[in-house]
Amino acid sequence: MSIKTTSTVCPFCGTGCGIGLRTENGQLLGVEPIRNHPVSKGRLCSKGWNSAYGVERQNRITTPLIKENGAFRPASWEEAIELIHEQFSYHLEEHGPTSVGAISCARATNEDNYAIQKFTRVVLQTNNIDHCARICHSPSVAGLARTVGEGAMTNSIGDVSKADVVVVFGCDPTESHCIIGSEIIQAKERGALLIVVDPRKTRLAKMADVHLQLKVGSNIALVNGLLNIIFANGWENKAFLEEHCLYLDQLKASVEEYTLEEVSKRTGVPADQLIQAARIYSHARAAFLAYGMGVTQFVSGTNNVIAISNLVLSCGQIGRPGTGINPLRGQNNVQGACDMGALPGNYPGYQFTNDPVAQEKFSKAWGYQVPTHPGMTSLGMNEATLQGQFHAMMIFGEDPVVTDPDQNQVAKVLKKLDFLVVVEMSMTDTASFADVILPAASFAEKHGTFTNCERRVQRVRKAIEPLGECMADWQMIGHLARRFGYTGFDWETSEEVFNELAALMPIYSGMSYPRIEQHGGLQWPCNAHAPDGTPILHRKGFPNGKARLIPLHHLPPAETPDADFPYYLTTIRLHFHYGCGSMTRKSPILERETPSGLLFMNEQDARNQGLFNNAPVGVRSRRGYLETRVVFSEQMPPGLVSMPYHFDDIPSNQLTNDAQDPVTRMPELKACAIRIEPLAPTARPRSIKELREQGECDAHL
Amino acid sequence: MPTSNLLNNTRGQALHAYELERPEHLRDWLQNRYKVLQPVHDQTGNGSWEEVHAGDVVPFDPALRPVMSPKSLFFAEREQMFTFDGEMFRTTTPKTEHQVLFGVKACDLMAISYQDHHFRDDPYYQARRKDTLLVGIDCSSPCENGFCSTVDAGPQVHQQNADLILTPMPSINGHSHGWWLICTSDHGAQAINGMDLPPADSHWRYWRDMSNEHALADFADDTYIINGIQRINARAVPDEVWDTLGHQCLSCSGCSQTCPTCSCYAVRDIPKDGGFVRERFHDSCLMVGFQKEASGANPTAQAGRRVARYWYHKFSSDFKAANGRIGCVGCGRCDITCPGAIGVHSVMEKIAHA
Repeated sequence: MSIKTTSTVCPFCGTGCGIGLRTENGQLLGVEPIRNHPVSKGRLCSKGWNSAYGVERQNRITTPLIKENGAFRPASWEEAIELIHEQFSYHLEEHGPTSVGAISCARATNEDNYAIQKFTRVVLQTNNIDHCARICHSPSVAGLARTVGEGAMTNSIGDVSKADVVVVFGCDPTESHCIIGSEIIQAKERGALLIVVDPRKTRLAKMADVHLQLKVGSNIALVNGLLNIIFANGWENKAFLEEHCLYLDQLKASVEEYTLEEVSKRTGVPADQLIQAARIYSHARAAFLAYGMGVTQFVSGTNNVIAISNLVLSCGQIGRPGTGINPLRGQNNVQGACDMGALPGNYPGYQFTNDPVAQEKFSKAWGYQVPTHPGMTSLGMNEATLQGQFHAMMIFGEDPVVTDPDQNQVAKVLKKLDFLVVVEMSMTDTASFADVILPAASFAEKHGTFTNCERRVQRVRKAIEPLGECMADWQMIGHLARRFGYTGFDWETSEEVFNELAALMPIYSGMSYPRIEQHGGLQWPCNAHAPDGTPILHRKGFPNGKARLIPLHHLPPAETPDADFPYYLTTIRLHFHYGCGSMTRKSPILERETPSGLLFMNEQDARNQGLFNNAPVGVRSRRGYLETRVVFSEQMPPGLVSMPYHFDDIPSNQLTNDAQDPVTRMPELKACAIRIEPLAPTARPRSIKELREQGECDAHL
Repeated sequence: MPTSNLLNNTRGQALHAYELERPEHLRDWLQNRYKVLQPVHDQTGNGSWEEVHAGDVVPFDPALRPVMSPKSLFFAEREQMFTFDGEMFRTTTPKTEHQVLFGVKACDLMAISYQDHHFRDDPYYQARRKDTLLVGIDCSSPCENGFCSTVDAGPQVHQQNADLILTPMPSINGHSHGWWLICTSDHGAQAINGMDLPPADSHWRYWRDMSNEHALADFADDTYIINGIQRINARAVPDEVWDTLGHQCLSCSGCSQTCPTCSCYAVRDIPKDGGFVRERFHDSCLMVGFQKEASGANPTAQAGRRVARYWYHKFSSDFKAANGRIGCVGCGRCDITCPGAIGVHSVMEKIAHA
């Protein structure tokens, strides 16, 4: 009997806090924050404190499962792998490699993601690989690659403490990235100025010096308006623009039409607040700008990111301590999954799949010719399925039925697939559609690395043995590849996988497990030029030589409220829950805190509809219907309501729109039009399951 | 009142003190008869309470105080209370063995004493506690964020809170001259019986008091904490101040988790074999659901009320009558872990200036 504490990384958001898992005789006892961790410094959020519940034995899938006559039965690994081999081989032969693909996992380790994309490209011979970054920060990757050259946080979380101005744009880090929120609260206490841009009156908005409470979807008008004020007053950083940026004249010309009056009208923000914010940001010694889903989850997602980049570059707030353009990434390892090339257009390390040099490099390294046809995104694979051109899919640890837009559409796709393999820890809505389910080991049961949103690669360590027959994804991939007759997948340890991937990725080439441990994590690029990693990007310049200013114009959301659907609905995250809730909802404390999906609404709006606090309501969009309860919220301005997306019984993605950003195909999760239909005051809101059974789920007007 | 034999000891009798060259000698002796846990430098860098086996060459670091208090060794984070098989309820008694916590600091010992009282009728807590011998260690200087002297919990171990106390002999020119071992209970005396230690010379008390005076003089100014305690007790903190503090509370539960005296728990029933298992687990009054009633009514629905309640429970003398002292032992852990920058120091500073 002995107690052991294992040092690892929290499995929830992209902050990457250090946690110690306390175990005794192979049982998880509890969690503690790591005092000298470079990011979290002894702090955790409620999700982190409850992370041991998420991986416990209850509800876990511990053997492979095969569906027979509509029900799952336990199976051996051999049997499951045999079936997967048979089915994928059939579809590869019959319909070709464009008809199969994989959805990788932003929750799994770098080693898992590397193995999954290698398997997809080598064995399945396709670039059809994607993951949920598509629906959070694909516009950041695309937008920032165009302007500054790297699609990641330019600075580190610790830079908040060196800033005299902090801008929080379209996110509420105190709910979704608590420890980054904590840094911002501490900066504010220290005397830094805080600017918040958000249609909601969030916790930080209430603490802010300036809160630009803009109308949903008016980001570009706002930023162009700020730029116009800055240029008109000569507040831009002329020396920086001269030395580092292209196309200043075009940008200046394009923002001229965004007059104070016009912008104030379009955004709903008073003119003096716009001037205040422009003055504070442009006059800062060091301004740290963080942004989130309120920027990316629009049809104009990529353009929103570019607009923000224009603002940051014009004021020269980049490349120095305390500055930067910093997308806050949602999953523990969404940065890593992108780094690993779990994207249709990228090999590991952002090397392009349409670049012949990169094709040859990876063909040589992997010993097999890599596919050259362009891959499809996750939504692309869904559409191809409905058109009968896509047949077999593997999904690793994601629950698109709950987390992706337009739920009914996703369910239709999964039903239509000829063969679906889902790799999961517990039964999710998505897994229920599978033909084969493979049991995944949790973060506490495996070794590996996660890359947090400040590009810090950190060690994840095994605290307990995998439950039952669970294994890490890279191990399953090894078994599968061997069955398909391929070599190059015979890793013995996660460290071997890491060494292979680091050798192929210039941004990781200076990393190894011992070096990561020695440094408490290493931030990429980490190579011969920067052996100890790179906490701040673009200190000397930009990878493309100069950064680009790109003029662009305001575009409203694809769907705007009208007489039939008078409210904007925006989806949000709650402090207590994470993603589809499959881990956080296992904690009795977190579940008690938020027992059910809720609709947050301005009190006046609610009263106008005759609703009381907690009144049962139906919520309808052009795509779906669900029932829940109204909660009055001071955070919501009139005309805007919000719903958390964590709950499979009241899934907000019944309602959302899958209109997409043309560049990245990011769906517009942050804005759709809905109406609210009061139910009888004593009615009990029905869960989605009941509504489906009663056939009331689909939209009918 | 105390139910365990450990607590019914010869308090008030003359203390015996002995000379001890190194704390490890005592620890190695105790290992012959007990499972011994001590603060160990672990992989996380936090320090943790781990078992040190006979023959292990693990140095004892007198300065190490783990990030987490030893609270969960008695009041487990999660534990099974009873099972119901459909017909019968069966209490689950924790398996325990004679153990020693070796090198507990004054603050954590005061917290254990506080919880001994709070959990005096709790069979799960007492099962673990009654089999535990506590070896305390005096602090010779303040730790980061610590203010034990302000709340009468340290830096010197209160003799009624431990069975044995280690106190360093005065160092001259930085050279340590060894330790005194003070025996404060029958159980402590039994534990070292046969060890054949030389008795301390009669000056030990004088030197221990001197060293305590030196340590006390090193503490940072604590006027704002005393002021804050006064205001909380006078109910002189305006609601708006609590609301502002509450606005910064992210309901992470970290203060309760790291607080060595927080004792709240919730329960749930997990279905099993036609019956269920009742489990209890640590809870926190900073969570909005903590006081929510079945009707939906909630006396602490506002964050400001929850924050006010928490600090009232830590500093009000209303609890002195029931618990013998105020709830805070001055360890400062909440200040380190709070993401909202409203740990004890910030709260007291803001209250004092309200």
